Amino acid sequence: MISVENLARRFGDRVAVEGLTFEVKPGEVFGLLGPNGAGKTTTVRMLTGLIAPSAGRGAVCGYALGDAALRRKVGLLTEQPGLYDRLTARENLTFYMRLNEVDEQAAWPRTLKYLERFGLGGRTEEPVGAFSKGMRQKLAIVRTLVHEPSVVFLDEPTSGLDPESARTVRDAVAELASEGRTLILCSHNLAEVERLCTRVAVIKNRLRTVASLTELRREGLALEVRVDGDASIWLPALGRLRFQPRANTEGSKLTVLLDTEAQAPEVVTELAAAGARIFSVTRAARPLEEAYIELVREEAA
Amino acid sequence: MSFSWPRARAVFWKDFLDLRKNPGLLASMGALPLMLVFVPAGVVWAYTRQPDDPNLQVIARYYDATVRGEAAMRFLVDKVLVDWFAVFLIMPVFVPILVSSFAIAGEKERRTLEPLLASPVTGLELLVGKSLASLVPALTICVIAFGLLCLTVNLAAGAAVLPTTMWTFGVFVIAPLFAFFGNGVAVVISGRVGDSRLAQQLAGMTVLPLVGLAAGQFGGFLKAGFGYYLVITAFVLVLDVALLIAATKLFDRERLMTKWG
Repeated sequence: MISVENLARRFGDRVAVEGLTFEVKPGEVFGLLGPNGAGKTTTVRMLTGLIAPSAGRGAVCGYALGDAALRRKVGLLTEQPGLYDRLTARENLTFYMRLNEVDEQAAWPRTLKYLERFGLGGRTEEPVGAFSKGMRQKLAIVRTLVHEPSVVFLDEPTSGLDPESARTVRDAVAELASEGRTLILCSHNLAEVERLCTRVAVIKNRLRTVASLTELRREGLALEVRVDGDASIWLPALGRLRFQPRANTEGSKLTVLLDTEAQAPEVVTELAAAGARIFSVTRAARPLEEAYIELVREEAA
Repeated sequence: MSFSWPRARAVFWKDFLDLRKNPGLLASMGALPLMLVFVPAGVVWAYTRQPDDPNLQVIARYYDATVRGEAAMRFLVDKVLVDWFAVFLIMPVFVPILVSSFAIAGEKERRTLEPLLASPVTGLELLVGKSLASLVPALTICVIAFGLLCLTVNLAAGAAVLPTTMWTFGVFVIAPLFAFFGNGVAVVISGRVGDSRLAQQLAGMTVLPLVGLAAGQFGGFLKAGFGYYLVITAFVLVLDVALLIAATKLFDRERLMTKWG
């Protein structure tokens, strides 16, 4: 569905992003992860035909990047909903139906279904300016679907929303994902990515990795140790280890991040030697956050 | 992608709808024409109220020493109507400026530009759609104002002094060229700045030469007439062509996304 090879974009002397190579399969929910300024939006703009790459090549839905016809095949939800406040929801959607030259008679029943599903069914004749942030974002999602795009790009869909609105938007995106659509989710919200995506590309001005979430977590090992009382008092004991693992605590749970399985007995021995009463030791998947932070902190080789 | 009229029409439809729902902008668009209609009608009424007033002869002789007797009133009425056309031309320039300043800078301000450019609409379709959304109301207002002007001036004069050939030609030929100019300036400027109010203020300054011309005419330094307005029109036509070329280049998708504002 999407394939890019050594894609790069420069603005003058500044490199926004370079060396992007990845593929997205049909029906996949793919995450573009990276910190602010990492080049996620630039990447999305290249993939949606908004700007041309400075180098590299790629294709979306069989259309080369830069081909104007590509824009008929994709839908883009921008970080800001970008709706016309004085126009009603119906007028906003009609405008995009006309820009996409879709048969309005055929498109409206389909669009109304989405509106109903997102709780906007009875609000079509209201000016969008009266909508809450969450409603506006959901309407913007419906707008990206009026021409039935093959790929939908969602650029920071919950950015700036309150937790409740963010949740309703996430639910809406999850519904789209459940329909088998190809979705590209651009975000630095790891919980969102964990919930919705199957594979991710981590970028920070260049590609850091492309992997499934399971693979990302597997790259490291976490040890969950349950102790008697507050686990944080045992953190200094870990400082005496020769390999200095990263660790965090939550109540009586101590999570220690390890590089290899062989380090696990040393952690347990050290804690026991320090006097900790250990109730259980379990191997856990490394939190995605850890893998992500490690990747974006890496300096370019 | 080839030019699509339905897409250009969609842009026009949306902008026109947005304009209709903007009472503040509509009020600004309506205030200027009212002034341009009622001020000359008032002046004509003042001149024709006492046609034998000796002061009229004094005023008329300031412009033309050969004017004598009762001809002074008619001379002054004709002169004010010829000179007022320069002021009237401010309307077809200014109204598109009010609307077009929001054309792109407004889209950028409201964060609607990116989803718009992600649609299949081309730069030329945007340019055409947005220009129509500013030119159609501007020229409609211009024609309505001209009709009102004829009515009020004729009522004030008590005789059919309007329309003249110059005014009819002016409203239907010269005014559209000036409207095109105002629209072009606003589009180009609103492209270079990211703030629609700044675009409006900068583009609004283009009416100053017209105000200067009118001041020159009323001050007796310039003698206006059909030929005089034709020369100005030819100059504006050249500017229109230059603005069209500039606006077409500016409405490049990538430029809009990365350089504007």
